[in-house]
Amino acid sequence: MLIPALVLGPILLGFAALLIPRHAHGAAKVYGYVIALAVTIATIASASAPDATVRWLSRPFEAAFHLGWTGIGYWLAVLLAIVTLCALVAVRASRQRDFVASILVLEGAMMGVFAAKDLLLFALFWDLMLIPVFFILVGWGPAVATAWRYLLYNLVGGLTLLLATAAFGIAYGSTDVIGRTGVTPLGDVWAPWIFAGFALAFLVKTPVWPLHTWMPATYADLPPEVAAIVSAVQSKAGLYGFIVIGIPLFGSAMHAAQPLMFVLGLIALLYGGYIALVENDAKRVVAYSSLSHLGLILLAVFSGNDLALRGAFVYLIAHGLFSAALFLVLGYVERREETRLLDRLGGLGTRNPRLAGALVLPALAALGLPGLAGFAGEILILTGLYRAGYVWPAVIALIPVVLAAAYMLRVYQGMMHGPSVADLPERPDLNWVEGIALAPLVIAFVLLGIQPLPVANGLTFVAAQTATAQGPAPPPSPTPQVTWVTIPGSMGGWVLKQVVYPTQAPQK
Amino acid sequence: MNYAQYFTQADGWALAPIFMVAATALVVLIVDLFESGHARRYVNIGIGIAGLIAAGFVEAQQYGHPYAAFSNAYVVGGFSVVFSEIVLIATIFSLLLTAGVGRDDQIGGSTALVLWSAAGAMLMTGAANLMTIFLGLELLSLGLYALCGLANRATSHEAALKYLILSSMASGFMLYGMALLFGATGSVGLAALIGAPLSGMLVVGVGLFLVGIAFKLSLFPFHVWTPDVYEGAPLAVTAFMSVVTKAGVLAVLARFAYAALPQHRELFVPLWILAALSMIFGNLGALAQTDLKRLLAYSGIAQLGYITVALAGATSLGLRYAIFYLTAYLFMNLGAFAVIALLSREHDEGSSLQAFGGLSERKPWAAAAMAFFLLALAGLPPTAGFTGKILILATTVDAGYVWLAALLIVGTAISFYAYIKVIRVMYRPEPRPRTHYVYAHTLLPWVGVVVGAIAVLAMGLYPFVPSDVLPLVK
Repeated sequence: MLIPALVLGPILLGFAALLIPRHAHGAAKVYGYVIALAVTIATIASASAPDATVRWLSRPFEAAFHLGWTGIGYWLAVLLAIVTLCALVAVRASRQRDFVASILVLEGAMMGVFAAKDLLLFALFWDLMLIPVFFILVGWGPAVATAWRYLLYNLVGGLTLLLATAAFGIAYGSTDVIGRTGVTPLGDVWAPWIFAGFALAFLVKTPVWPLHTWMPATYADLPPEVAAIVSAVQSKAGLYGFIVIGIPLFGSAMHAAQPLMFVLGLIALLYGGYIALVENDAKRVVAYSSLSHLGLILLAVFSGNDLALRGAFVYLIAHGLFSAALFLVLGYVERREETRLLDRLGGLGTRNPRLAGALVLPALAALGLPGLAGFAGEILILTGLYRAGYVWPAVIALIPVVLAAAYMLRVYQGMMHGPSVADLPERPDLNWVEGIALAPLVIAFVLLGIQPLPVANGLTFVAAQTATAQGPAPPPSPTPQVTWVTIPGSMGGWVLKQVVYPTQAPQK
Repeated sequence: MNYAQYFTQADGWALAPIFMVAATALVVLIVDLFESGHARRYVNIGIGIAGLIAAGFVEAQQYGHPYAAFSNAYVVGGFSVVFSEIVLIATIFSLLLTAGVGRDDQIGGSTALVLWSAAGAMLMTGAANLMTIFLGLELLSLGLYALCGLANRATSHEAALKYLILSSMASGFMLYGMALLFGATGSVGLAALIGAPLSGMLVVGVGLFLVGIAFKLSLFPFHVWTPDVYEGAPLAVTAFMSVVTKAGVLAVLARFAYAALPQHRELFVPLWILAALSMIFGNLGALAQTDLKRLLAYSGIAQLGYITVALAGATSLGLRYAIFYLTAYLFMNLGAFAVIALLSREHDEGSSLQAFGGLSERKPWAAAAMAFFLLALAGLPPTAGFTGKILILATTVDAGYVWLAALLIVGTAISFYAYIKVIRVMYRPEPRPRTHYVYAHTLLPWVGVVVGAIAVLAMGLYPFVPSDVLPLVK
């Protein structure tokens, strides 16, 4: 029952937080922080927790309250727990009690998305996780219009997800299929349409050009702690959906959609990178850099290549860690200087050396410095794309990697270097609470950069299914070829066990 | 003359719940004469609710015992029991709402009229004969004409007049349709329609009949009376109309579509199109409303569209899910009305959107309950609205009406804006309310709020629909 407790606990305790007196800001913070710490420890410890199932519907299709971990789902849940913990340590908001309560509810709902092993339950938590963010945008954001845009875009996605889930349930007879092997693929009449419904929801959530227009304003208007959670974890839900729903259940449809997705992914990569290069608002720079980075993961997910997919896992977690850290640090800067426009800021580094240090680490991870987690993911994805024969996409995908260095250094330089701006307020340097809030993230992306294997291998079930992704009927016993790949230029040289399944021609 | 050859004792038992409800109304009227002051309000409501609960128990005894009473004019069975229970529960809710609004000296009369209207709706749930259908419909409507005009406001009188004229016109259409159906089959029994050959008279008759149905269900484009009437009528009456009338008419429609004319399914296609339009235009209309009662009226138009869509495949599962969603709608909608009742005073129903500004600061529990009911109406998890929509989507896709499912999604997307707009108003921090609000002096609506919230949550997590619901015609 550990996994249901991880999902329901934060939601119920979040509502219970409303019993704390309204003005007890300190108590609310400690309350949230203690719960988030407990959730983090329990999540990490739950790696081998058994699934929990309660029957839900039996007609018109079978559905169950089925919670459990898929490989990547577990790692995303760990990411969620860590990022939430850091956000709650860093939190400082008006009406703090309500803020903490919203974050806890958000954590529980997102935990549900990553733990759901039933499509209907997945759709349920998918819709549920939008509500706290909407209310945070309304209550603590500068413009209500942003909240509406966020909600409407994502709810339309959520509704197509719902329709697709209902159609899947009717066509297959059960929705209790996530992470289950041996699911017979749907026929060609249904599968493309149902997959299109899922894909629209996932693409809006990720987001991908041209469905991204809700994203920059949302990330910019959210308080930094919640922006960290949303950009680090919630945006991963779409890619997670492609991995655990798309690949195993809609292999041939995924294959058919590949050209389109490659184009969308490459546009997101280049467009996001370019806007990040010219944008003046630091938070929007990070937002557009997310667009760019997640485009790369989309390529990897649709490449059908095992190595690239493993890279996608690593990069999903890595991007979560460094983007959360970036948003938190930008929040610190904004709290001090009351602006986040790059042309207003400057010269902070001389007075605030610790703040500058706190910014430079996640920025380096984001631009893909070898040894940090970002590089580990990028190199695996690019190598995988190249090996799978997608030479030109791999080459084009290199461009934003270079752009990343430019825009990340531009942010750092614009804030920390240069002459001091006279009319900016002088505030104290990074304090220890703010430092502690960042520490888990920094430690995690350094560790992941040195040793990405646990995450890269944590997807055994999906990897096994990529073989069947190419066609409806798997051969009786595909003999995998095992090769050992050494990644050149890695610190110490990573050795990856790569399992290559014989490729099959897609069935007509 | 020996009546025993026409009416047996079993026939009388079949009608017993209806008689109980009607007799309770008489008791209320008599007791009302001996009471005065504030107490009469609670005595009347108490007697009414007790009578309804007793009728509900008797009604439940009929479940699983199908029986055709009065020469097949009134058919009892799982179908009529389920719909009658929905009617009874909704009536209890609306009596709870009368506790806070209206004048003390009107309570006796209005309670009696509500009970008689409920009796009419119950008659419709079992009606298997054109005459019984019309009898039930008129019994239901006559009480409502008077109830609509009860409040001392110009809008209330306007509502009563509007409802009287438009509803009579719809009844006229329906009656004309019935006459044509009679002409086509030579019988007023619905059973005569089974296997009736497709003739011009039958088609026109069904068409006119469905126009009447669409009007009573307030489907687009026959919905124009709904917002005005809902806004003008007293709160409890609006709540009553929004569920009880719909339950009665849906029962008639389902019996018609499932039992009487299963072989001419294509005749109903225009109705599904109207349902689809209602989902879109009902929600579009809700966007601009600044009065909660009007907003719920438009939302009701859309919600009835969802329910009607479930019937489109004429599958037994579709009917079960329509019943599930109707029950869910009962609790969601009446829960929302109960929250409005909490904010009502004797002469001012707190239904304007402005009165909800900053409600979360003043009455956090009421605001939370309202938010919950609105999110449920919007179809967000983990509520009955979500589960109900999933079930309807599934059965609609299953029946081959994918376009209806897609339009349902579009309508739902629009509706989010309408519902969440209200929530935003409630949770917007207000510096200080301009007027000092006086709240209802009673806790009775809270009963409705709590029961509704529990039911919406429980139905969302554990959807349960009785299995024996197929309508019969003999």
